[in-house]
Amino acid sequence: MRAVRLWIKKEGRAKYISHLDMNRCFTRAVRRAGLNLWYTEGFNPHPYLCFLAPLSLGQESDGEPLDIRIEDDMTDGEILRRMNAVLPEGIRVVRVHDAIAKASEIAYASYTILLETDSAHDAESFASQAKTLLDSGELYAEKLGKQGRKKVTKQVSICEKMRTYAVRCQGDAVRMEVVLNAGNDMLNPTLLVDALQKAIGMNPFVSIRRTGFFKADMQTFA
Amino acid sequence: MLDKKLERILCAVQKPGRYTGGELNSVVKDKSKVDIRYAFCFPDTYEIGMSHLGMKILYSLANAREDTWCERVFAPWTDMEQQMRENGVPLYGLESGDPIREFDLLGFTLQYELSFSNVLNMLDLAGLPVRSSDRTSLTPIVAAGGPCVCNSEPIAPFVDLCMLGEGEEVTNDLIDLLKKHKKLGSDKQTFLREAAQIEGIYVPSLYDVTYHEDGTVQTVTARDGAPATVKKRIVSDLDTMFCPDSFVVPSIEVVHDRTTTEIFRGCIRGCRFCQAGFLYRPIREKSPDVINAQCKSICDATGYDEISLCSLSSSDYSRMEELIRKLIAWTDDEKINVALPSLRADNFPRELMEKLAGVRRSSLTFAPEAGTQRLRDAINKNVTQEEVLHTAKQAFSGGWTAVKLYFMIGLPTETDEDVQGIADLAQKVVDAYYANPDKPKGKSVTVSVSTASFVPKPFTPFQWEPQDDTETILRKQALLKDSVHTRKVSLSCHHSDTSFLEAVFARGDRRLSEVLETAWRKGCRFDGWEDQFRFDLWQEAFAECGLDMAFYANRRRDFDEVFPWDHLDYGVSKAYLRRENEKAHKSETTPHCRLRCGGCGADKLNGGKCDARCQTVD
Repeated sequence: MRAVRLWIKKEGRAKYISHLDMNRCFTRAVRRAGLNLWYTEGFNPHPYLCFLAPLSLGQESDGEPLDIRIEDDMTDGEILRRMNAVLPEGIRVVRVHDAIAKASEIAYASYTILLETDSAHDAESFASQAKTLLDSGELYAEKLGKQGRKKVTKQVSICEKMRTYAVRCQGDAVRMEVVLNAGNDMLNPTLLVDALQKAIGMNPFVSIRRTGFFKADMQTFA
Repeated sequence: MLDKKLERILCAVQKPGRYTGGELNSVVKDKSKVDIRYAFCFPDTYEIGMSHLGMKILYSLANAREDTWCERVFAPWTDMEQQMRENGVPLYGLESGDPIREFDLLGFTLQYELSFSNVLNMLDLAGLPVRSSDRTSLTPIVAAGGPCVCNSEPIAPFVDLCMLGEGEEVTNDLIDLLKKHKKLGSDKQTFLREAAQIEGIYVPSLYDVTYHEDGTVQTVTARDGAPATVKKRIVSDLDTMFCPDSFVVPSIEVVHDRTTTEIFRGCIRGCRFCQAGFLYRPIREKSPDVINAQCKSICDATGYDEISLCSLSSSDYSRMEELIRKLIAWTDDEKINVALPSLRADNFPRELMEKLAGVRRSSLTFAPEAGTQRLRDAINKNVTQEEVLHTAKQAFSGGWTAVKLYFMIGLPTETDEDVQGIADLAQKVVDAYYANPDKPKGKSVTVSVSTASFVPKPFTPFQWEPQDDTETILRKQALLKDSVHTRKVSLSCHHSDTSFLEAVFARGDRRLSEVLETAWRKGCRFDGWEDQFRFDLWQEAFAECGLDMAFYANRRRDFDEVFPWDHLDYGVSKAYLRRENEKAHKSETTPHCRLRCGGCGADKLNGGKCDARCQTVD
């Protein structure tokens, strides 16, 4: 049995496939590809397959880590070739290697956020207000959470969970590059975007793409 | 790629994966290289429609033609509908994203009477007039198929034509004809007149209906050379019939998400309440080798790890052991489960059950349908109490602690004693659990009883019968509740006004189309969904159109009454159905078709052949 990590690119229409459905999708893809998966040995044996970091519905990604366990000694290149022959539109395996680093080592994730406004003027206005808000360190979002059994709204400090950010204009759009907490204390980039939209009072068309994962020392997670 | 307008909408709706397309094995063609663009429309949600085997078959069949591109269309949920209307996005095909009003053929499958309002809503969302007479150009032609077209009168003015029976052959005939008339530049009337000559195609606008003063049908007269009665189409040989070798694999979770193959069509049982049991005759079986090869190919193409063998009563397949042996020869290695829905309690060998290793089951389900032997005889559900108890005992000794029992309330000839009999039978199952010496210690048994309301349907022996009115149903449900004396039995009764409306439309006439359109304009859609159903709006619509729901649902019909569906021929003769009805009232059973041919008449559709009869045991 070998633990293998696949890096999955997800874009276009495939971004509307949820985390749970991605699991289902890969269980089938692996069967179609003819990989000999290792099955769990419990009462209901099922193939071992695990996305290390759930990606929100509607977000794209350059590479999502997926761990599988296989029984035969197929080469990494063979796995990549076979998988890409059977995957649906918008989903591609970009890299395959032995799974060594643990999921718990993921500390940060980077994102590119594109906010398309109606004009270059709107974009500039949005970008400068966003910068001011982020520089102030005072940007909060409301998030539904639980306190015991009770459902409560919690205030989340965006800036505390954001490691770096860069904001610039690109024609009619604002392009943001951010590094956010991942893992246990993660920040979903939609919370950041919602907070900005609410504070600025503009409603641009938003595209979010996860671009990478990092360890606590900002070394690339692989 | 999706356009930005649509992307913006998708951010605002639940389950956007329903509306994106792009699933594995979906078919994309160059639209400039096809003659016919066909939208296969399922008037319910994506999750329901993508579970439907008929759609998978006809989608693959149409796309196997080089000249045709078939796409899938489902009813957008109410949140998506609102977004589409607000943003001016017309209903589109999932494969191309193109508006379906530009297509040549729209084919709706009618699985359920309460999806009729969705058909109107989908036509409207497409930007088309809902009435056939207001769509004057040749294309798009709006066609309907599926079981509910056996009485298509309530939707007759909205569709251009109906395909009766099985679609594998008639779809090709229809596409050929439409392609010809498109090239000729014919008008719609010319095309429809010629389409009416194809066996299995019913063009409602070529039939005039007159009514008696009491509201019943007087005559139905064919015009312009259309046949006086339209015979349903069947496929004679299931082994050589088109069958898909791959399925579109949904990216989001749907209701039935697995490899499915039919093992036979028709049913030998003749349960008198069951429309499918009469509508899909005669019996035709597929051979084990063909089924096995089809399952293998679909599993390879999809990666599914479950196979479901589909039929109306799987244990009546005459070569089941041979089939299971062939399947498990490879499914075991590939860790694929084989499931058999519609198993009957009375004739499935336990040894065979155990061969289907890995089938995970949390509970066992029986459908005795009625509480007493007398009523089970009347409805010809030939399951005895002993058989139910015997199987339940076996299950209990195998470690099961939960049993589900399905019943109907309001069956013809039902008395209070029959209703109380439901509680008695459930109690006996509970007793059977405690009588079992090696029952698991400290574990209690749960017997879940579900009752549904009986809905009389066309082409069944009960097509003449009234449905119990709501008051009677509620009284019987209360009686049943009072008859249950243990907490080991959990009771859930479904009646609602949905069963009542279903009964109205199942045996409705063409005048109901007014009501349907009125109710839809008032906002009715997704009527089969309890949370969307607006009975108050339906009542308003009936009142405005001056029609009485009870006339359609709760009236006993005379044997000589002309039915709105009498000019449609599903093979099974009215004389046979009448004989069965009379036997029901005497609580007499009819043996299943393999024991003795009942002479239903459906064999004439297949040149006198019926697979049940050639296997008749003398």
